[in-house]
Amino acid sequence: MPEALYLSPTAKLPYCRGCGHSLVVRQLSHALEHLGLPPRSIVLTTDIGCVGLADSLFPYLHTVHTTHGRSTAFATGMALADAILEPRGLKPIVMIGDGGAMIGLLHLVHAAQLNVDVTVLVHNNFMFGMTGGQHSALTPLNWVTATTPDGNWTPPLDLLSLLRTAHATFLARQFATSQELASTLARAINFPGFSVVEIVELCTAYGTRWNHASGASLQETIRRQGYALGEVETEMERPTFRELYRHEMESPRPKRSKLTVPHLQAPAKLTKEVRLVVAGTAGERVQSAAALLCRVALAAGLYSTQKNDNPCTQGSGFSLSEICLSSKPIEYTGIESPDVVLVASEDGWKELEANGTLVACQEKTLLLLDSEIEVIPPKGRVVRLPLRREANPQRAALSAIAAWLEKNPVLPAEAWQAVLALEPPERRAESAAALETGRRLATRSTDF
Amino acid sequence: MVAEGALAAGCRFFAGYPITPASEIYEVMMRELPTHGGLALSAPDEISSLCYCVGASLRGLKAMTATSGPGWALMIETAQYALMTETPVVVALVQRLGPSTGGATQGAQGDIGLAEFSTSGGYTLPVFSPSNARESFELTVHAFNWSERLRTPVLLLTDKEVGMTSEVVDDEVLEIPALVNRKKATARADYAPYAAEEPEGVPAFASVGGEIKATVTGSAHDAQGRLRKNSPQVISGLERLQRKIEAHAEEMALVRPDLDPDARCLLISYGVTARASRQAVENLRREGMRVSFLQIQSLFPIPRKWLDWATAGVEAVFVAEENLTGQYRAALTPYLSGKQIFGINRIGKLISPNHIASAMRGVMA
Repeated sequence: MPEALYLSPTAKLPYCRGCGHSLVVRQLSHALEHLGLPPRSIVLTTDIGCVGLADSLFPYLHTVHTTHGRSTAFATGMALADAILEPRGLKPIVMIGDGGAMIGLLHLVHAAQLNVDVTVLVHNNFMFGMTGGQHSALTPLNWVTATTPDGNWTPPLDLLSLLRTAHATFLARQFATSQELASTLARAINFPGFSVVEIVELCTAYGTRWNHASGASLQETIRRQGYALGEVETEMERPTFRELYRHEMESPRPKRSKLTVPHLQAPAKLTKEVRLVVAGTAGERVQSAAALLCRVALAAGLYSTQKNDNPCTQGSGFSLSEICLSSKPIEYTGIESPDVVLVASEDGWKELEANGTLVACQEKTLLLLDSEIEVIPPKGRVVRLPLRREANPQRAALSAIAAWLEKNPVLPAEAWQAVLALEPPERRAESAAALETGRRLATRSTDF
Repeated sequence: MVAEGALAAGCRFFAGYPITPASEIYEVMMRELPTHGGLALSAPDEISSLCYCVGASLRGLKAMTATSGPGWALMIETAQYALMTETPVVVALVQRLGPSTGGATQGAQGDIGLAEFSTSGGYTLPVFSPSNARESFELTVHAFNWSERLRTPVLLLTDKEVGMTSEVVDDEVLEIPALVNRKKATARADYAPYAAEEPEGVPAFASVGGEIKATVTGSAHDAQGRLRKNSPQVISGLERLQRKIEAHAEEMALVRPDLDPDARCLLISYGVTARASRQAVENLRREGMRVSFLQIQSLFPIPRKWLDWATAGVEAVFVAEENLTGQYRAALTPYLSGKQIFGINRIGKLISPNHIASAMRGVMA
């Protein structure tokens, strides 16, 4: 394929005299010519900086000029999408500088982990060139830059070593002047997974002005930093993202059926909306008990809303649900003053004290509490039942719901049966036992 | 329901990063998208999430991510890139109490400004805000449609209270708006990636990897996508980015009006507070007060014609929203000249119908 399909032969390269970027674009063109890839199968994704001027030099390739450091992430997005499309085969090539590579380090690491078919050319000239020669994370020790006038103190990052630990499978480092650059680039682009080529070069505007840097001293700098040259040994072959995706799609997927709650013939009639709070200890199935109640309400033809709250740790401290039940669609889902408060543990009680629920109770509010809670609430009718002792802590919330419903039968028994039938067998037995305990405690109680 | 809406809208790519209260959308998409011929992926951060989505959209897929305020703060750079490059993408922003990490499990409507006024240059990002599960579904489809049609990022602004409250939805009444796909470029010698036929037009889309060369850039560019400085074509291109949104403002408008022609006052609300507002209006009317109500679902561009219509004849306008400073009220104020404007605001807890009703009674008595 003629080279004109890649770097335009008439292109006037925009780079400073002696800048390595000019060599890279020419060698990239040679590499593409060697591979003979159709231009429309390539997307050149350029970062911010002088490397970002490369788009216009390749008039037949797709080009995406991005924000600083993010080029790898955009290219990864394109490669991921390509992996699920037919026909496939997009080859994203990223051109990024050392500055951008550090801003977008996370994107390089994740692209390596995913092993997407993206090739990244890191143009490492040890500094930010376009903005005036400032220090970057890859600046060698003692180098003078616009922002390290007395020499750089911080050790430079060995990008390839770092990416090796992120499981990158093709890593190489070459000088821009190397005779092998084109073949290294061709191998990297041809590689089906993630590949990075760090190209070491000099910024002739600033790098060589402030430092005694030349081709020979550059070799010495790289040697002193202990950097590998050529292709870096990586771990054994890994499947590419494309392969993993195909494998995943071809594997049988667990069938997930949606839970369909049956509707009863005769819906429940609620003369008045009910707003209740169920509170207890995180991990003790408080919110699941509330969800079960809402499902039963749905089966009974009612509208319901359920809002849950728990500390951000999820599995410790309190757990609560606020539920509204209504025969009409529910607008406001908050509870200004609850009709019913069911408390299965001390944790739940403390939270209701803290969040203002208890002071919002009125004389008519029913507070059904576990017997271990001895505090006397400011207002409301109190019923104490030995929920934790008789039902066990995991079932206490559901037993509390059952006890309340035993004395206020707003939901038909058939609705409970229909919803319990949807539960897996072990859970169904647990729930049935919890409901039975609640009903028994309510019947026995003299507090109601 | 946001995830369900995205699937119904033809979303085929989702990249997410966990954050309360948006993680449920992420989890549902991870579970469901592969069975809908799509790809859902865990990204290493929010910046990557949106970059992946934009990349996938450039390849031609409908893409979405979901986050909350702290994540959106990180995504703004990429959202601006999507705006500048005219790449369709949808971001579901499930608000929580801010600022900073704020209250992860508390609802809020505090990101109106952060959502809408997040671009350098103040370009209008279309923002839809659902108040319940059903609207979450429908507005997500609208968000995708407008994103495709205008080739622009669109925000679905919901919050913890709407996003994480379970409620009963009758799926038989769910309406799926007709789906819209971005206009594809056809191979022509004079194809220009950023050329539109009208000053408020939308360019035809050439997918990266397709037969037509795609040229994409977030830097100031001419119609060909070439970097240019001080070129009249750059300026007209930037003007077009705004004009294409404004030209469709009326068509984009989605409201739920409940007006009383004899009302002296109008209550405006959106998102979760619209629910309490509707109930407050019902209660006030029962007491004999003449009051109109307007729920705005398409927050931006501001549905000005509806606003003019709803405010005609009223003396006072109340805007109820769960934030401290009345962010949407401030955005509406320029279009409410001659009216007395009152904010009904609180943070940390849902605004209740009683709160709204008593605020309105207090003023109108």
